[in-house]
Amino acid sequence: MIVRHFLLDVHEANSFVVACEEDREAALVDAGAFDSAVDEFLHDEKLRLVKIFITHDHFDHTGGLPEYVKRFKAEVLCGLSEVAGCTATRVKHGDRVNVGRLIGTVLETPGHTPEGLSLAFPGHVFTGDALFAGSVGGTSSERDRLRQLDAIRKHIFTLPPQTEIHVGHGPSSTVAIESRFNPFFV
Amino acid sequence: MSAPADKRAALVERIRSGACAGERLGEVDLSGCDLSGVDLSDARLSGAALKGVDLSGANLRGAFFDGADLREANMRDAQLEFAVLGAADLSGADLSGANLQRANLVGTKALGARFDGARMYYSRPGNADFRNASLRGCDIQRAIFRRANLSGADLRDATGEANFENASMEGTLR
Repeated sequence: MIVRHFLLDVHEANSFVVACEEDREAALVDAGAFDSAVDEFLHDEKLRLVKIFITHDHFDHTGGLPEYVKRFKAEVLCGLSEVAGCTATRVKHGDRVNVGRLIGTVLETPGHTPEGLSLAFPGHVFTGDALFAGSVGGTSSERDRLRQLDAIRKHIFTLPPQTEIHVGHGPSSTVAIESRFNPFFV
Repeated sequence: MSAPADKRAALVERIRSGACAGERLGEVDLSGCDLSGVDLSDARLSGAALKGVDLSGANLRGAFFDGADLREANMRDAQLEFAVLGAADLSGADLSGANLQRANLVGTKALGARFDGARMYYSRPGNADFRNASLRGCDIQRAIFRRANLSGADLRDATGEANFENASMEGTLR
């Protein structure tokens, strides 16, 4: 499994390419801005971008989506049927996302936004702005805050402890680190 | 040389050749080894035994050291941007001048460690233990020290606005 991180110019947002080494199929997780470095990486590694997974509908995670869709004709997966002016396949908790031979699972992590989703592959989970290293995403009400914490406890912290957590902003982490030391949970 | 020593020397040689960037090395024992200036970017050394290792000037960008034993390690001027040092033990380590921008230091133990002049912009030292550590002249702009223990730490000449929400700062020098 290939996982490559890209730091974008927009709000220091992260974007990730996830790819199957055998089949050379790739997915992009979040698309805050079109980044030519992603294009070059896909080209150099001979990867075909077939899917774009949007964790949530905020511009720093979707701003580059129209350009990626135009260039790669990749299927957009999101918790909404339309995002950043692009038609999307609406996915929900428990849905499978195949990238070559890799099988990802959609996890609901609402709170930061109502449609917020995470995407888990064996050993890796992409959480967007639901969970950060040592922090959580901002919410607009106490109800949303509790909903977010509950979803993270239920769906992220139950993954194997060594699972790497790749987030929307800032450094990656692991389930072991966050479940043990994240100040919002302990 | 014994078999384990041979194996260890071979691994050090391979690391020094630059072949281990991005590799999953796991819980290896490289305590006390000279790995100065090596490229271990994006490598996985989770839980590794690295006490007293010399990683000065090494490229460790995006590497995972979660839960590693890095006590008394020399990591001066190392490139640690986006590195994961959460739950690692850096007690007594020297990270002076290191680039720790956007590094994960969540739950890191860094008793008496030196971070003088390090760049810690947007780093995440939540719940970390920096008791008696020296962070003189650090750039801590946007660093999140939420609930960190900075008792007895030296933050003189540190620059930038950091988040110290619920941090322990008894006897902290600022």
